[in-house]
Amino acid sequence: MARAGLQLGLKQALGRVAAGAPVPVFAVAGQGAREHVQDLRLDGRLRLVDSPGAAMVLLIAGGLPDGLAEPLAHLHDSLPHPRATLWWPLGAGPATWPQQFVPTIETRDGVSETLQAIQRELLRGQRPGEPPILPDEDPVPWKGVGPYGQGGTGMTGGTPYGRPMAELGADRDGLRLDVLPLRIGPFFPRFPPGLTLDLKLAGDVIVDVAPVESPFAGAPPVGVCRAGARIFVDALSQPVPVAGLELARAREHLRWLADALVAVELGSLGSRVLRLAAELRTSDGDSIRTLGRALRRTQAIGWATNGVGRIPAAAVEGLGAGPIARAAGLPEDERTHDPAYSGLGFEPIVQRDGDAAARWRQRLGEAAQSLELAARAGDRRTVPTGSVESPRGRLDGEGNATARFLHLLPGVLQGLEWGDAVTTLVSLDLDFEEAVFAETARAGAVAS
Amino acid sequence: MILLGPLGVALAVFVAAIGAALFVRLSGDLPRRPVPTTPERTPFAGGETPAVHAWNRYHARYYVMALVFLAFDMEMVFMYPWAVVFVREGGIAFVEMGMFITVLLLGVLYAWRERAFNWA
Repeated sequence: MARAGLQLGLKQALGRVAAGAPVPVFAVAGQGAREHVQDLRLDGRLRLVDSPGAAMVLLIAGGLPDGLAEPLAHLHDSLPHPRATLWWPLGAGPATWPQQFVPTIETRDGVSETLQAIQRELLRGQRPGEPPILPDEDPVPWKGVGPYGQGGTGMTGGTPYGRPMAELGADRDGLRLDVLPLRIGPFFPRFPPGLTLDLKLAGDVIVDVAPVESPFAGAPPVGVCRAGARIFVDALSQPVPVAGLELARAREHLRWLADALVAVELGSLGSRVLRLAAELRTSDGDSIRTLGRALRRTQAIGWATNGVGRIPAAAVEGLGAGPIARAAGLPEDERTHDPAYSGLGFEPIVQRDGDAAARWRQRLGEAAQSLELAARAGDRRTVPTGSVESPRGRLDGEGNATARFLHLLPGVLQGLEWGDAVTTLVSLDLDFEEAVFAETARAGAVAS
Repeated sequence: MILLGPLGVALAVFVAAIGAALFVRLSGDLPRRPVPTTPERTPFAGGETPAVHAWNRYHARYYVMALVFLAFDMEMVFMYPWAVVFVREGGIAFVEMGMFITVLLLGVLYAWRERAFNWA
């Protein structure tokens, strides 16, 4: 009795202390939610975690196609007890994935307060933790061939936790060792929303890789267009101010940089970059150049990116791969064909090396250049030609740079260690939503 | 504190340390934790479940670096008795150790050429 009382008292006391801490949130960025989820990093009341095991609340932002219902259920069930889910639709329509547990929030202002309230209630026992969606059973119970469940084939005998052991395969050193097949995504925090990779790993070296078709592709549009991508989608069909377009480009590059800094464990610097992106003005070119110099002096970034994920110019020639192509030395840029840019002194910036470090330099250089163009552009407006240079490359009626680049991804990633592969993927700035937004806008224009 | 004397202070620190260790140990046990379910135990790979078990044999490529480290470690072990007799033996000891280190250095240069210092 005394022990039970002590337990309860201790639990309540610890719960009160823990309720005041930042809420550990695992955020899923659905369609149209990338920027909103990024901005949550600036809120000191929340702590965005990289694994559901470290989270208390699952935040689903934006729209998710039905194809993601099953991974979402797995994700939900991997949060430890007590747990809760919050859906932040951001204008997305109703979904078919399990919503029986999901309270909904509409506005940005209420998100942090609601998450804090959820944590408080969970820790004080005023709100029950959500039960699992999936059954709590191993796919196949661990059982060998012997009478006591022992023995069998493989390293340990039996099938541990229902999963067979990895098969043998050739190693790059001429050995025959286990090759581990693994599907990473679609909610892996370092991947862009919608990317899933089928990998074969020997240790941490990628032996084989194949991208799984994006769940966003072909699915009916469930989200609203991201604010950062909207002006580029609009520029496909109507004249837009060059100054606004270039400011948006610089902002997108800085938002990419914020994510890239989180990937190299420089999250606080990433938050400063996000703040700069949120308040970006045409006079901030010097801030970006100063930032670029500071990043070039940062040894950790150099070690992570120099010589990593090299893409030769010949591989991306003619793909309209934007900063990826320009970082490899190709001066491909749709803006050179736009009469609105003539007289502005626009010349595409190019690098030579084509590695991840070159892509970092390229985007920072382009961000500063965009601010200069925006300052010089006055009230010029673009001329719609059916294609536009988005921050990722050529965007037209047939898709975006990511869609055209995707078939090159296995060649780029094979043979890399996992850490280098993530650095490379981050440096590519893939975007599976842009093409969907463009398609949606085009369909809307046709319908109207 | 001064009244307790040095022995008393040491005893007080000892008792406080034991108390803190017991508190940490027991407070971890007191709240009952639910047993993690199967999905909670599943390794996180972005929402998909793994098809095979994660136990697998892979090539620990840094083992060559570990061997080179061992070689240097043994070299240091030989240098301690050498340092003791160095003053007595004089130049001959210096030359002998020089030969020993030269042979080791050749080994290191070979390992370097063979890319033993690349982590993976």
